[in-house]
This record gives sequence, structure tokens and C-alpha cells, in this order.
Amino acid sequence: MEVLLGITGKDYTIIAASKAAMRGATILKASDDKTRALNKHSLMAFSGEAGDTVQFAEYIQANIQLYSMRNDTNLGPGAVASFVRGELAKALRSRKPYTVNLMLGGWDPITEKPSLYWADYLASLAKLPYAAHGYAQYYCLSILDKHHHPDIDFEQGMKILRMCTDELKRRLPIDFKGVFVKVVTKDGIREIKYEDDMPVKSA
Amino acid sequence: MDALVAQYSRPAHHDEGYSQDEQQELIESTPSLSLKFALPPIASPSAWLRAMTDDYSNPNCPIKIAHGTTTLAFRFKGGIIVATDSRATAGNWIASQTVKKVIEINPMLLGTMAGGAADCQYWLAYLGMQCRLHELRHKRRISVAAASKILANLVYAYKGMGLSMGTMCAGVTPQEGPALYYIDSDGTRLAGNLFCVGSGQTFAYGVLDAEYSYDLSEEEALELGRRSILAATHRDAFSGGFINLYHVKESGWVKHGFSDTNPIFWKTKLEKGEFSNVTADLE
Amino acid sequence: MVRYSLQSGWARLPGRICSRSCKTRLELYEITYPIGIPLTTPPGTCAVGVKGKDIVVLGCEKRSAMKLQDTRITPSKICLVDTHVSLAFAGLNADARILVDKARLEAQSHKLTVEDPVSIEYITKYVAGVQQKYTQSGGVRPFGISTLIVGFDPNDKTPRLYQTEPSGIYSAWKANAIGRSSKTVREFLERNHKADMDREETIKLTVKSLLEVVQTGAKNIEISVMAPGKPMEILPVEDIEKYVESINTEKQEEAATRRGGRTPGTGTAAILTRPADDGPSAS
Repeated sequence: MEVLLGITGKDYTIIAASKAAMRGATILKASDDKTRALNKHSLMAFSGEAGDTVQFAEYIQANIQLYSMRNDTNLGPGAVASFVRGELAKALRSRKPYTVNLMLGGWDPITEKPSLYWADYLASLAKLPYAAHGYAQYYCLSILDKHHHPDIDFEQGMKILRMCTDELKRRLPIDFKGVFVKVVTKDGIREIKYEDDMPVKSA
Repeated sequence: MDALVAQYSRPAHHDEGYSQDEQQELIESTPSLSLKFALPPIASPSAWLRAMTDDYSNPNCPIKIAHGTTTLAFRFKGGIIVATDSRATAGNWIASQTVKKVIEINPMLLGTMAGGAADCQYWLAYLGMQCRLHELRHKRRISVAAASKILANLVYAYKGMGLSMGTMCAGVTPQEGPALYYIDSDGTRLAGNLFCVGSGQTFAYGVLDAEYSYDLSEEEALELGRRSILAATHRDAFSGGFINLYHVKESGWVKHGFSDTNPIFWKTKLEKGEFSNVTADLE
Repeated sequence: MVRYSLQSGWARLPGRICSRSCKTRLELYEITYPIGIPLTTPPGTCAVGVKGKDIVVLGCEKRSAMKLQDTRITPSKICLVDTHVSLAFAGLNADARILVDKARLEAQSHKLTVEDPVSIEYITKYVAGVQQKYTQSGGVRPFGISTLIVGFDPNDKTPRLYQTEPSGIYSAWKANAIGRSSKTVREFLERNHKADMDREETIKLTVKSLLEVVQTGAKNIEISVMAPGKPMEILPVEDIEKYVESINTEKQEEAATRRGGRTPGTGTAAILTRPADDGPSAS
């Protein structure tokens, strides 16, 4: 029951990923970071099969960074997303596919626009204003459908994210130990301190 | 006749000089860390292995792998405590009561063993070799992060082929301080303060989580490690035997005994009054 | 001295010769290429590396651009291998591109497999290893470049400076020069290098040593500076100009005092002229 959420706004993309690392009935770690920075302006969050996730993410990270070193420029978010989808599709038709679901948050320094890409383990890719993975979809997409607008500012974005995480805490049967929140803006990627311990009133 | 012809028609210097393979060997001075390996000549190796070894789905399987375990390790200000039980079971049969489940990778690094005993022993020994090679090549001790990643990459390469390991890598280095990693045969690798692995993990977590703090003194930490394993050996049928206790410091690891659980249990019960569900008198 | 050219001598190194006895091999080897004489670098523009107390500086002689050449996008002789490692080369530009790419790939691959970024020595050893490979295998031509590899190991404040040669030799230095007239520059550095120089002194020594062989001043000099934990910094031309000016005034003053004190015209020329042999068209 991993949670991945993504919200774009006027000049930012927020990515939230749950902190719990579960194995069987045990939570092995309650501060697991399910994101990797690919370059200055793109961040990838991942969930799925244990082992596959980190291996795939770090493989992508190494390749994107190698591109930056070789060409002295960063790949834009759209190009990153295409590359990632391509690798996922290549693996899908191999002996050992990666069972990984992804969310790519980015900011394009050329068009000066934020972007969010959603990809699943079957290598379908979609550019969306807001997105979720796993059970979070069932609870959060309706909230996002209602409250999201393309030009919301950062505070409004965080407010919607709070509505989403509160709802998940209220209704998801398993504790996902809160979320790591990261935001991609023109200045790069930064982590946002996110209060997880607040009690949520049930309806 | 053919042989005779072959003998004389062979080029004069057929097998002199370096062969293609030998040349390749000359060129590739250092083998890469990612292994290439041959698959067994079977259609689906993992399914076959499961049929042969998994006594849970097939009680008549010809090979029974040692499984049940309790192992734990936790970080605290004085280093890392590593503790395990010593029972090896194969199905319902106790195969041994004196297994060394803490694997001394080298004088600085420890690994623990849960899951397939052979898998853990072999691959941690292999890890020890890689660590020594790293030391020789880089002229400094390998970081625990690097060592654990070598193992994680390795088991990931074998993913889905029947490896069964749940292991922890513990070490203290000047760059990282006390470092603890959990690695399992799924390919998961996690850094953390505290891990328990094996069939008795839940019992050990119960005791450990309640009293764990990073600022524990050395004696407190050792006692907590010992008591957590004792708890697991008491409740988990697949854990028992001896408590194997280690303390890892920057100067290397120190062994704190391989002690029988039975007297420790009675001592704990009689002196501290714990385990009150077990009656000591014979009425 | 062995000259680098793209023809016969170089394309036909041993290794490919398989169907001879080992003895003949060795003889052939000696004819083509006497053992013991190191492979040399074809002369390319000069590159200098200087270590300071907590800084390391790379300087390069830039080939003067043709009138219509777009200098802004013509590739530099100083390249980044990873964020904390930079490399300058002298020799065949095109060969360097391939070698640098291999080094970059290794840097990322190393980070992927063991988490830690490469140490400067490790990547040097790798570059030298690649260069060595190309002296031993068949059908290939050695890399016609020497490199200076500089930077700081992760979480470390000691500056590092290494040199590699086409033969695969690598060595560590306090300050060194490669390429055209490197001997002159090295001798200059030997006379003027001091331990524990600060940032300004280190950059100034680098510029000054380059001015021994570059007559055209700041516009033909490129300087990059590495400091621990910071990205590589390429100095803008204006900054280099300032260093050149201050060096020139210093030299004039020095010459003036000398002329005032002793018989005129005895001091060595401030700027040595470039040696007559310019080598093949390598930059």
C-alpha cells in the first residue's frame, strides 16, 4: 500500500511519496525515501516490486546524469519521461521486466512550465496536471478533480495535498507512515517539511 | 586416415601464441562486479527449485532448506549490536542447535544469516572476498554502504531464481559512523537504525522497539539484544539454541559470547520474575 | 623517440600476431616497439595542473582560433568526468573525446554499483587502465594523449593531481605539465612551486607557468579551479587577464631592479620562445 501523489501548479510540481517500507506483515523502515533526483529539474518517485524499484530508479538516475556530464546540458522533463518510458517498455518485453510504477515531476527551464508524468509498469505514459498511484488513486483523484486548477499557487497546492493525505490516513486500512514531500521549481528540487503526526478526525 | 591427414594439414604453429580467450584475459585485468552466470538447463528454474525445496507447498520435497531464524541488529551511540539465535530447522526437524548465524565477513564487518543457510554463507563469503579486493584496489576500507550494495546488486541479479536470504550488514567506519543495512533476496536494501529478520522477528521487535534508544549504554544495549533474542526463542518454535552476541565498534567487532538460552531463560525468570506464564513449581 | 602518426607503425602493434611462436612474438615486439621506452604523447598544446593547500587548478594553452571559428562552442581541453573530477589532456583531441567518455561512463557506473562516487585515484587508474589495454590488444591504436586528472575525493579536503600517459603509466604530482614544451613548464614549476599555496597563489603560478610557453597572453589561456565540495569553476577571460597583467608588471619591475643593480641585459629573457619543432597538427 504505497502512496504516490503528484500535483502541478502555476510554477511548481509537488511530489509526495509514502515513507513506509513494508515486507510481509512488518514495516521495516518508516523513513524510506521513494524518490530520486534525476537532474536539477526532474524528480522521479517510484513504487512497486521490492528490489526492482530502487534498481530501476538508480539505473535511470545514472543514465540521466551521464547524459548531463556528456552533453553539458540537462535533459528536459519531456525527454526524461520518454527515455524512462522507453527503458520500461524495453524491460517489459525482456526476460525480466521491472514491475515499477512511476511519477515524474519536472520543471522545464525553456518553456518555464512545470510538468507531471505518470507511468505504470506496463510502460504507459501520460502527462497530467495531477496524478496518483495505487490505492491512493481511489481516494485522492476525486479530491483533486474537485479542487485542482492549473494556475493554483504553492500554498493552495499544499492545501490540496493535505486534504489528500488526511483522507488517506482516515480511510486507508494500513498505516503508510506519512509522506515525504518534494517540490520542483525553477530553482531545482527541494524537500518540504511535512507535518505527519497531526491526528485526523474521522467523519 | 583422416587423423593422419589432419595431423599433417594442421598449420605449423596452430596452438602457439595467445588464444583469443587468453588475449581477452590479458585485457580484462579486473572483472566487473556484476556477474554473468549460466542458468541450469531447465525451462523455468525458479518453479523447479520451488518444487524441489519448498516443504511448505510440497511436504515430500527432496531437499529441505534450513529456514527458521531470529536475527537482529541495531545502531546505538556506542556502535552496533548484532544478535542471533542458533537453531537451524528443516521442516519440523531441528537440524542443528549450534549454527553460527553471525557471519564474520572480515574483522570490521558482520553479516547475519536468515533464510537459506547455504545461500547466506556462500554469498557473504563472496562479499568478504570482494571487500578485500576493494581494500587492495582502493587502498582503504570499503564503506558499509558499498559493501551492502555489492551484495544487494548480486542477489538482485539472481532475483526470482530461488535465492532466499534476509541479511543485515553492520560495520562502523570513520566516514559513515555506525552503519546498518538490511538486504534481502528480493533485492531490497535499506539503511536503518534497527532491524529484526526471520520467523521470530515479530517477537524480537516487540521487546526491542519498546526499550530501544540511540543513547543506550554499551551494557544496556548488549542486554537488550540478548533479551530480544531470548523473547523470540521462547515464543518461536523455529528459533532457539544459543544466543550469539556481537558488538561492532570502529576498531572492529567484539564477540560477547555464544550462550545457551536455557540457563539465561531460567535466570531471567527467577531473578527478574519475567515469563510468569511459565510455572517453576511442580504442582 | 617514437612519433605518433596514424599509419603503419602504430596501427601494427603486436597482439594481432597470433600464429607465431612466443619467441618470435617478442622479437617482433622489439622491432616494432622497443620494450622499456615508454609510449610518448604526440605534442599537443600545453596543459598544467597545480595543487594548492585546499585547491587544485588546471590551466590550458588554447589553440589560437581561426578568424571564422566560433570560440564559444569549440570544445575545451578541460572536461568534467564527474562533478568532483576534472580532466585536462594534451595530444590528439579526437582520442581524448573517446577516453573522456569512457571515464564518464565508469564514474556513473561506479556510483550506480557501490553508491560512493569515484575517488580521483580510482578514475585515474581506470583511465590509465584503458590506455594500457590499447597497447596490448590487437587491431587497435593506443590513445595519443596524456591526461592530468584533478579533483577532491568525496568528503575529503586533500587536493589530488594525477597524470596518465598513453602507455598506461599513472603518477601523482604536486604540480605538473603535459603537452608541447611541457619540459620547460615543468622545470619552471620545479623552481617556483611552494607547499600550501592559497587560491590566489595557486592560480597565479598556473598562469605564470603557462606564460612560459604562451606568448599571446590571456586570450589563449584557459583556467579551471576545483575546490572541495564545489562545482568546477572556469575562470572568465577578464580574470585571467588580471593575473597576466599583474605577472607582467611584476616581471618588468624585477627586470628594472636587476638592470639598475648590475650590468644590463644579463637576466634571462622573461618569456622563452616556443621551441622550433611544432609537431604534427595536433592541438
